[in-house]
Amino acid sequence: MQYGMIIDLERCVGCHACAIACKAEWEVPVEFGRNWVRRLGPTKVGDELASTYYPGLCNHCAKPPCVDACPADPVDVVFKDAKTGKTVTKSVAATWKDPFNGTVQIDKSRCLGCGACAEACPYGARYVNPALTDDVSSDGKADKCTYCMPRVEAGLIPACVQTCLTNARIFGDLDDPKSEVAKYVAKGAKGLEPKGASIGPNSRYYGKKKDITLLFQDETPELADMGSVKRRVMMASMVKPAMRKARDLGLLGLAGAMLVKGLSEKKNDE
Amino acid sequence: MAFNLTRRKFLQTASLAAATIPLSKVVSAETGVAKASLEPKGTSGDTTVVGGLCEMCFWRCQLVGKVRDGQLMKLEGNPKSIDNGTAICARGNAGVKLLYDVDRLKYPLKNVGKRGEPVWKRISWKEALDECGSKLKAVVDQHGPQGICVFPHGASAKYPMHFFERIVGTHNVSEASFFQCRGIRDSAYVSTISKAPGEMVDMSNTKVIFLIGSHLGENIHVSHIKSYMKGLQGGAKLIVADPRYSASAAKSDIWVQIKPGTDTAYLLAIMNYLVQNNKYDKEFVAKHTAGFDKFSAAISEWTLDKAAKECDIPAAQIKEVADLLAANAPNVAIHPGRHVSWYGNDFQRERSLACLTGLLGAYYVKGGWVPSKNPKLGKTSWAKHEHGNEHNLNFNKDKKVYPFNPPGTPTELIRDCAISGKPYPIKGCVVWGQNPMQTIPKQEKMKQVFNAMDFVMCVDVMPTDVTMWADILLPESSYLERHDQIKAGAGKVKADDKLPTQYIAARMPLVAPMFERKDQIYITNEIAKRMGHEKDIPVQSIEELVNKDLAPANITLDSLKAEGGIHLQPGQSPYGVPEDFMVNLFNEDVAAAGFPGAPTYKPVEDVPAGYARLLYGRAPVHTFNRTQNNVWLHHEMPTNPVWLNDEVAAKLGLKDGDTVGFINSEGVKSRTTTIVKVTPGIRKDCVYMYHGFGTANPLMTVGVGQGVDDQSLITKLAIDPETGCHGMRNNFVKLTKDGKALDIPA
Repeated sequence: MQYGMIIDLERCVGCHACAIACKAEWEVPVEFGRNWVRRLGPTKVGDELASTYYPGLCNHCAKPPCVDACPADPVDVVFKDAKTGKTVTKSVAATWKDPFNGTVQIDKSRCLGCGACAEACPYGARYVNPALTDDVSSDGKADKCTYCMPRVEAGLIPACVQTCLTNARIFGDLDDPKSEVAKYVAKGAKGLEPKGASIGPNSRYYGKKKDITLLFQDETPELADMGSVKRRVMMASMVKPAMRKARDLGLLGLAGAMLVKGLSEKKNDE
Repeated sequence: MAFNLTRRKFLQTASLAAATIPLSKVVSAETGVAKASLEPKGTSGDTTVVGGLCEMCFWRCQLVGKVRDGQLMKLEGNPKSIDNGTAICARGNAGVKLLYDVDRLKYPLKNVGKRGEPVWKRISWKEALDECGSKLKAVVDQHGPQGICVFPHGASAKYPMHFFERIVGTHNVSEASFFQCRGIRDSAYVSTISKAPGEMVDMSNTKVIFLIGSHLGENIHVSHIKSYMKGLQGGAKLIVADPRYSASAAKSDIWVQIKPGTDTAYLLAIMNYLVQNNKYDKEFVAKHTAGFDKFSAAISEWTLDKAAKECDIPAAQIKEVADLLAANAPNVAIHPGRHVSWYGNDFQRERSLACLTGLLGAYYVKGGWVPSKNPKLGKTSWAKHEHGNEHNLNFNKDKKVYPFNPPGTPTELIRDCAISGKPYPIKGCVVWGQNPMQTIPKQEKMKQVFNAMDFVMCVDVMPTDVTMWADILLPESSYLERHDQIKAGAGKVKADDKLPTQYIAARMPLVAPMFERKDQIYITNEIAKRMGHEKDIPVQSIEELVNKDLAPANITLDSLKAEGGIHLQPGQSPYGVPEDFMVNLFNEDVAAAGFPGAPTYKPVEDVPAGYARLLYGRAPVHTFNRTQNNVWLHHEMPTNPVWLNDEVAAKLGLKDGDTVGFINSEGVKSRTTTIVKVTPGIRKDCVYMYHGFGTANPLMTVGVGQGVDDQSLITKLAIDPETGCHGMRNNFVKLTKDGKALDIPA
């Protein structure tokens, strides 16, 4: 099974509801987004005018460069197929591609906050949320679209799909030929493959020819400079998690107590 | 494009939202000292609260709230809704950030500085209400009820508006939704078909959608957009007349890149072509229209060639559109539009749209103009009284100045009277939910009005620009914290249902109000008591009012809540032309009042050399100025780039993203700057920007100074002669770069 999302640009009216619903659902900090909408054009495409939208999100790629970039020490994780109950054990870093549903996920408790994955993603679909810290990372934690797996596992549809005014976002199993998403792929929906690459994006776009041309012309990304990603990884591994832990504890001892005291005083004043 | 959200502001927002949460959790949210969970919980486990009715715009989508520990985490469409369903737009979703906006008004405030340069002092409700009551009473005692003017807007403003109109007895009420927006449309259709048209076009079932200037997609109302998309997906052809390649134009089959201001000429040529070539619905015209002969004679000058020249579009394209409409009649959706206060010749354009719908027989048929048959409900408010027309500014002795005005008094009549003191003094001003600084053209004149007052009070949820002119500023509970009006309508539960189902939803609070915010019933009643009108008070609470209005449907707020916030009942077919339905192609009353009885084109002033016409419109993530301070919406769209034709930009040496200001033909400069959007998708003789940006009030810490306030550049007044409504697209601007004005090349 491979979860995927279709964005039907014939239906999309560019309203940004998807972007805001996601922010509310997952408490995404104001300055970041797990998904986004960009207006493209109006501009000339061949002899015609065209204007459309780029509603972007994580592509949960077949070969995700972000997963390869993660420097966290691998651990064995048991994955379970939601349908059959079958399990498989895989050694994964702090981010991986799920062997059963094909989504790319993050274990924030092991994330080092180095940002290598965010830099490796050609789509800019990841960010480091500085508000999320623990003993492993005081720099924040990588975050991104999960295809709303916690909602899907609870029997709901992704928040962006639920709020979409025109049913322009369709979610489902691309491997199931009877699914609506697979039918869209059969009709020609395609992912924004980076230049010269083949990483298999699973969020795919469908629309009028001129609109798709405009989208691919304006928004086809380049693969990240992996040299830069590697340097970031090296920097991250130089500061061992154990050292960070000690440093954070020290900070907590001094500043933490003062902050807590200040807040309780403020509360009392009210 | 500076991102105007500081970390501090973000933390403030978080802490305000957490005000009702135990301290330990506040600590974790604000500082991360007590470690928060790394994974957000998601809202699927939160408590669902029903009964929400959105007011991020005025479409009133039905909501549920997801509430965690007393805090509203998320808004969703009510799954029981047959109107918006589970969908809500970006603004609807962002209601959470209005609720917890730290800049929201929290306490009654008194201006101890000057109007326009306020210094705010927090006062008690008692002091605030005493002051409002005594000052307004003093105005009435000294100058009569006509000494008060009211600028209301939104659901909560209806009750106070009725108090001042019906009980106090002033005619001087100017609603922006009428005089600066859709009033012309409503009056023109009333003159043609005896009904206000709403946007009741059956786009879901139509074969052709015809939009004049409507930019659906940038203008978002959820069920309307759903209907539009259903029509398009069902194969409807889309015709869009707009000088700009709008969101709708980008989805169109035919884009008519019309010269601004000439739409009526275009419509007359289409109608004349249909008449001359016998392509109109003869049966419908014979049975349901009046004045066909006079009408067809009056429009006969409008040949395709004449209109092509006037509108700067190909004659062949006019013919193509007319033929497409005729071939698909009567199942064609001629959209009446919504904001239509454009050029001061708008009544005639709206009449043209209503007449075109008639020629095509497109009333009460599938895919045409079809009013839905809604449930019967009460209209509880202050009792009506007759106050005569002696002090009605729209009456000159027995003759109306603007005979086809929408309800209320034309804005300019009120402003002129207030500033000149003639024919009588207006000395008290009540602003409720409206932001006249950014809804009414010519801001300097609005300032003069406020400066002429003895007393100005404002009620709002946010410190919008107009609140800077208040003496007393009162904080209102938002739509998420109060009971309020009802939304009722009809729709299909399932696509294959034969008959529509009616629905009734009444606004219920999703969370309790914070700080000292109060609802409109409390505020109005308390002022009424202090003005000597205690005996006239119709209800003691908003719950009482809503229950009275629900009674005809045999439901109550309690029963409504128990059934998920929405009541469903069987409806009736909306199709079938009523026997007595008439379309006045020629309107004798309009003619008798001294205006053209048949739709007539009146040219607008041409763009002076060196200038471009300033056009404005809607942004999908903002409702004018009301949402500018919303951190989520601001993040999606922090500024309003000015659309500039690519060839013009090349001649001016401007590139995409360059920073520019404006100066208009009357020498008024923009207070702020924006960036240029260079595109072939706009005519050379106009520029375009989203309306509502460029907030001046520093208390709106997110929105202040972001983008350009288009309203500040609309200083040349145009008045629609039949209705007295404003036209706001007859203003001309040059761009300024580094302080230098750039001549727009022809």
